[in-house]
Amino acid sequence: MRTRRDVLEDAKRGVIVAPMEQDGAARSAHATTTRRDFIAAGLAATGGLIVFVRSDALAAEPHGPFQGRAGFPREYVQVDPDGGVLIWSAQPEMGEGTRTSLPMIVAEELDADWARVRIDDAPMDPKYGGQGVGGSDAIRSDWDRLRRVGATARALLVAAAAAEWRVPPGECETTPHTVHHRSSGRSAGYGTLAAAAAMLQVPPDVALKDPTAYRLVGTRRAGSDNLKIVTGAPLYGIDVRIPGMKYAAIAKCPVFAGRPRRVDAAAARRVPGVRDIVEIPGLDNPTFLMPGVAVVADTTWAAFRGRDALVVEWDEGPYAQESDATLTTQFNQILAAPPATLHNSGRVDDALAGAARVIDNTFSFPFVSHVTLEPHNCTAEFRDGHLYLRGPMQMPTNARGIVARATTLPPDRIHVQATRIGGGFGRRLMSDYAAEAGYVAMTIGGAVMVVDNREGDLQHDYYRPASLQRVRAGVDAAGRLVAWDHIVASCSRNAYRKDPRAPHSTEVYGCMVGAVQTVAQMDPDLKPMRIPNVRLRFGAPLTGVPTGAWRAPAHVANAFAIETTIDELAAAVGRSAVDLRLEVLGETADIPRAGNERSPYDPARMRAVLIAAAERGRYAEPAPEGRARGIAMHETFGSYCAQVVELSVAAGRNGQRVVTIHRVTSVADVGQMVNPGTLEAQTQGGIIDGLGAAFYGSVPIVNGRAVPRNFGDYRMIRFREAPLAIDAHFLPSRAHPTGFGEPPLPPVAPAVANAIARLTGVRIRSMPFIRAGFVLG
Amino acid sequence: MPPISLNVNGRSIDVDADPQTPLLWLLRDELGLTGTKFGCGRGFCGACTVHVDGVATRSCTLTTERAAGRRITTIEGLAATNGGALHPVQQAWLEHDVPQCGYCQAGQIMTAASLLNRTARPSESDVATAMNGHICRCGTYIRIREALQRAAQLRAGSDDTGGDAS
Repeated sequence: MRTRRDVLEDAKRGVIVAPMEQDGAARSAHATTTRRDFIAAGLAATGGLIVFVRSDALAAEPHGPFQGRAGFPREYVQVDPDGGVLIWSAQPEMGEGTRTSLPMIVAEELDADWARVRIDDAPMDPKYGGQGVGGSDAIRSDWDRLRRVGATARALLVAAAAAEWRVPPGECETTPHTVHHRSSGRSAGYGTLAAAAAMLQVPPDVALKDPTAYRLVGTRRAGSDNLKIVTGAPLYGIDVRIPGMKYAAIAKCPVFAGRPRRVDAAAARRVPGVRDIVEIPGLDNPTFLMPGVAVVADTTWAAFRGRDALVVEWDEGPYAQESDATLTTQFNQILAAPPATLHNSGRVDDALAGAARVIDNTFSFPFVSHVTLEPHNCTAEFRDGHLYLRGPMQMPTNARGIVARATTLPPDRIHVQATRIGGGFGRRLMSDYAAEAGYVAMTIGGAVMVVDNREGDLQHDYYRPASLQRVRAGVDAAGRLVAWDHIVASCSRNAYRKDPRAPHSTEVYGCMVGAVQTVAQMDPDLKPMRIPNVRLRFGAPLTGVPTGAWRAPAHVANAFAIETTIDELAAAVGRSAVDLRLEVLGETADIPRAGNERSPYDPARMRAVLIAAAERGRYAEPAPEGRARGIAMHETFGSYCAQVVELSVAAGRNGQRVVTIHRVTSVADVGQMVNPGTLEAQTQGGIIDGLGAAFYGSVPIVNGRAVPRNFGDYRMIRFREAPLAIDAHFLPSRAHPTGFGEPPLPPVAPAVANAIARLTGVRIRSMPFIRAGFVLG
Repeated sequence: MPPISLNVNGRSIDVDADPQTPLLWLLRDELGLTGTKFGCGRGFCGACTVHVDGVATRSCTLTTERAAGRRITTIEGLAATNGGALHPVQQAWLEHDVPQCGYCQAGQIMTAASLLNRTARPSESDVATAMNGHICRCGTYIRIREALQRAAQLRAGSDDTGGDAS
């Protein structure tokens, strides 16, 4: 089976077997690959030193856009004669701080003065083509390479100083932006050494700093674009302006998988400012390009009005009768007879039959929309036979490949530049908007921004898969967890996008399995637990509803089912919810390891995080009068997180119960911290996003269409509903750093549900919680 | 159509536009002021907030006709209302490293600035009432809460003239 790593590697190389998943988070720096990165240096156009990474596999990749090139520089650092340092980081920035954290890693090893570092997100020379990588776990995958780039630049500067002073380089040291030779009292700034350093041979191996010497990594650094953001400077895809450009809005069939049958554009053409109508046939894979009718106009407003005036007769396709009810029927059929058994250890049925106590829970999860606040948009210009795209692209390389399919242009005539992204959450892993912009620009022979409004964005998202899950779990007379039988019936992202991989592979992340003997048996997304009898089964319904990755994909739903069931079991047998978890987590030795391959999951780290969260969140102590505390834990893409939620519940209007979150105590292990300020921000943001989605997020399906129209009927968590306090703690660690854009989400909803159960006796088993009468206060 | 006269960031501008065009689109697509953001087009999210005669107003539901003749300040012009230095709200947003994706922040800042311009020491309830009309998809609400209190401090320290600065 192709693993997520394989797909990520493919995506980085521009292979578009399938659009990339958010699971960039699981990208591993040590992934087995034939790719060879090497570091090169030279004279910059400014007369300074430039150090960059080349990758030979990018040039050799037959499907990639860079074939025939002598290596594609993916990031670099440049030291100018005036001492300015420019760092280009190729990873997209969506608010998770990559444009700050990644350059920090380079600057640390370079021993640069952060105040003199500029960060750019574009190649300086167009001959380099464009940005080439994507994925949401930038730090985890790039840590080693970025350190080597910075350390190489530093070594060259040191070597230049040593040569000038005729002293051994080993006698030199650096303080930020300066090389010193202590015994002779000489020192030189980086800028004065840059030109000489550019003439030297790149050393084959450079020493990396001892982490105890870090000056920058591990310190709080504010976002590098903050000044531009607070002054309203153009940064985002939707801010791209090209003289003479048009704006286009695309009408798509309101029924999923439908297409236009007949178009009457007469009224649309009469709308002032409307210039053109472009029919888009779409590609066979709807994650690449959906069929529709584009209205091209002088302004965004005219394009929206023109689209409203279109009269389209739709071929509604095969799913016009689909609804939540028809999906539930399919889900129930899967629960009754699960088609695939993914794991089966011990004798689950016997163990359940012999258990002293059995809990049998069914959980339901709705479709959820990404609703990135920056709506769907991308700009393309067709000029001299080439397409130039600029937009909020998380996967620039994939976008190029998909635009090539949509336009039939060869990839070397497609130039992609990613802008800052106004929120991703998984939506921008698709590149449909780039394909639309490229198609329309080529058709009209000019520059156009394809843009949608909130209604279009909500109606044509790639939603978080809906699922229905059943967990039966049993404890023995001593209160030990002896049987776990989990069935996941979930819409499959793989099935939707025609991915050849098994439909379950993206939907069972974080599910528990029993003992595994070898690394080969261990899917990195499953968690081996010390439970003697475990079965995991799966099935996916047939549906026309588009699905995609939504922040912490599949983890959010699966962690909720697992973590609320364990909590309920503990309560049922009068045991501590922490003790029961510690018992089933097991030890590091339970997880097989091979060679130098790090295990993707280490129970010892999860245990330490859980224990620390229980202590700091005072889980075992009585809560203040009228409040209760709940706890939950989860490992997501290599980062470990446990949270204690303290809440109270009051009577609200219309019989609703209003939940006030007084405090969330979050403890995580992300290995070496790079930017604690960003980690704290992601903790706050992830918890708030997780709360909003748990209480309110839902896209009902009626007659094959998404029901919500705008934020009026798609409710978002707001200022007043945020927790009164969020404490973000990180366990000290020198382990390889991992990402934190997604890991804070999965624990929060089950921790809330567990606290509500303690306080009120009500066990919530469905999202959104508002359906059970619970809202945030 | 006769041109419509607007006063945007202290400049008088005559525009040829359908008087029903929302001010948001005039700012973004005709005047090139893209700092004011499009989020929902229906006044739910607050991303498009500007000051009209000093008061935080949704530009996505305000027609150009109704904006005519009134003093409009966008995020690009906010610092100019503070003598060219960053407004205390902008300064506090930097100090507290508020933005994540940053897309909603122009609107959040305009509402916070309007609140402080009228209420130098807003209560928690004043703040919640003002800011609840904004959606931050990244969930920066906690840092917004902290930064707003800091902005009130900065404003009290640096500006004792009070009144409507925009």
